[in-house]
Amino acid sequence: MLVPTDPIHDPRQPHHPPDTGPGSWGKTLILAVLGTGAAVLVSIWALAWPGDDPLADAVASAHEVYLTYTAWLATDAISGTPDWQALALQIPQSDASRGPALMVAYGCGSCHVIPGVTGAVGTVGPSLAGIADRAYIAGIIGNTPGGLMGWLMNPTVHSPQTAMPDLGVSEGDARDMAAYLYTLGEAS
Amino acid sequence: MNSTLDMFNSQSALSPAGVGAGATHDLTLIMTIAAAVIFVTVMGLIWAAWRNTATPRAWWIWTGGVVVPVVTLTALFIGSTLTLQALTQGDKDALVIEVTGNQFWWDVVYDPDTLALRDANEVFVPVGRPVTFRLASADVIHSFWVPSVAGKMDMIPGRVNELTVTATKAGRFRGQCAEFCGLSHPLMAFELVALPAEEFDIWLRDLEGEARDAATPALLDGRRVFLEAGCVACHEIRGVATGGRLGPDLTRVGARASLGAGMWRMNTGNLAGWIADVGDMKPGAQMPSYNHLSGPDLRNVAAWLESLQ
Repeated sequence: MLVPTDPIHDPRQPHHPPDTGPGSWGKTLILAVLGTGAAVLVSIWALAWPGDDPLADAVASAHEVYLTYTAWLATDAISGTPDWQALALQIPQSDASRGPALMVAYGCGSCHVIPGVTGAVGTVGPSLAGIADRAYIAGIIGNTPGGLMGWLMNPTVHSPQTAMPDLGVSEGDARDMAAYLYTLGEAS
Repeated sequence: MNSTLDMFNSQSALSPAGVGAGATHDLTLIMTIAAAVIFVTVMGLIWAAWRNTATPRAWWIWTGGVVVPVVTLTALFIGSTLTLQALTQGDKDALVIEVTGNQFWWDVVYDPDTLALRDANEVFVPVGRPVTFRLASADVIHSFWVPSVAGKMDMIPGRVNELTVTATKAGRFRGQCAEFCGLSHPLMAFELVALPAEEFDIWLRDLEGEARDAATPALLDGRRVFLEAGCVACHEIRGVATGGRLGPDLTRVGARASLGAGMWRMNTGNLAGWIADVGDMKPGAQMPSYNHLSGPDLRNVAAWLESLQ
């Protein structure tokens, strides 16, 4: 015999009204407390926004990809794909315009030719013109934002025999300098 | 190239911070105003002479051509002579600082007759006390010029010129070689630091003594490289190697604000680039490039020099 599996609509079961929990005043109170708590949390988060915020970084990065992808869909969907390579070189939360001044301050130009950086005419190390299109950094690290930043911060960790000294570059400065270097494509 | 310019106060005679520069500045203002007044007066006289045909011609010639020029030129001559006198006045009790121009750097010796404390490419002076610069040259003609503090004075081989200056404001002022002296003449700057008198005394006392000890294995290795690579033939570092006089004294090199005679910021990166290929940074400099050093040797010697503060 076919036994219905849904007890609520089973005509053989006595009908109970659904459990409503606290009364309607209680529901309002709970909602009010939850709402206030959420508002307080958001306020604290907004007021005490951490300077270095990995979550925001990740969201910004994803958002950037999303924007580029939608822009591509809207305008250029027929011819090819989005420029994933350029997207991969984007560094969230970076300010490429600080790059040249930072490179002057750290003294990069005494060893490297760097287009756009005052007095950067050194021939001790390789020219950094066109670095955005290179496959490897120092011949050992893949040319990704993380790889380039890691190299800028601690070259001797990656390459113990390198002549490039550790310059005590902070992560924020490395981010901005890497972002600037990634503006130096083939054309530079 | 002038990547250190923003570290200094203006290199300008229009923002005086010394007695001599102040006098020059005032004289410049007086001369400019006087020139403007004279120009307007002469134009007025020409107009009057044009309109007024009643006055005899000889009157115009004697008044406008002889009397007025004699009076004004005499007044300006007296003014400029007084300024010149104020500028060139010596002071027997002044602290003597001997500055010797070299291609393309400055050898600086404080109190050469007694203390003889050597430094390079930076000149510290006390505010409010007269200082006599004893200016010489080791090779070609250079010129010592800190526009904000004092007028310029040539450094001539075989001759010692004296220039007494008094800084009136504390601060960092850029000086520049003002006589073409070779390929890197535009890269031959220096920094004049005017400290309050008490701070200057402390600074001068700290200049005495030997270089700081190497604190880590990497820095010790840097010192070894310095000794083995032959740097000591030209550079002196008190407590490490003495006698080298062809290049700047490096006992406190890391304490300087700039590298290469006021041109680049003092840091390990610039030091390493300088040692490896000085010709890139300062064409015509006497120092050879040390590009035969291994990577770690280069890094360590640069880091060690930067630690000498």
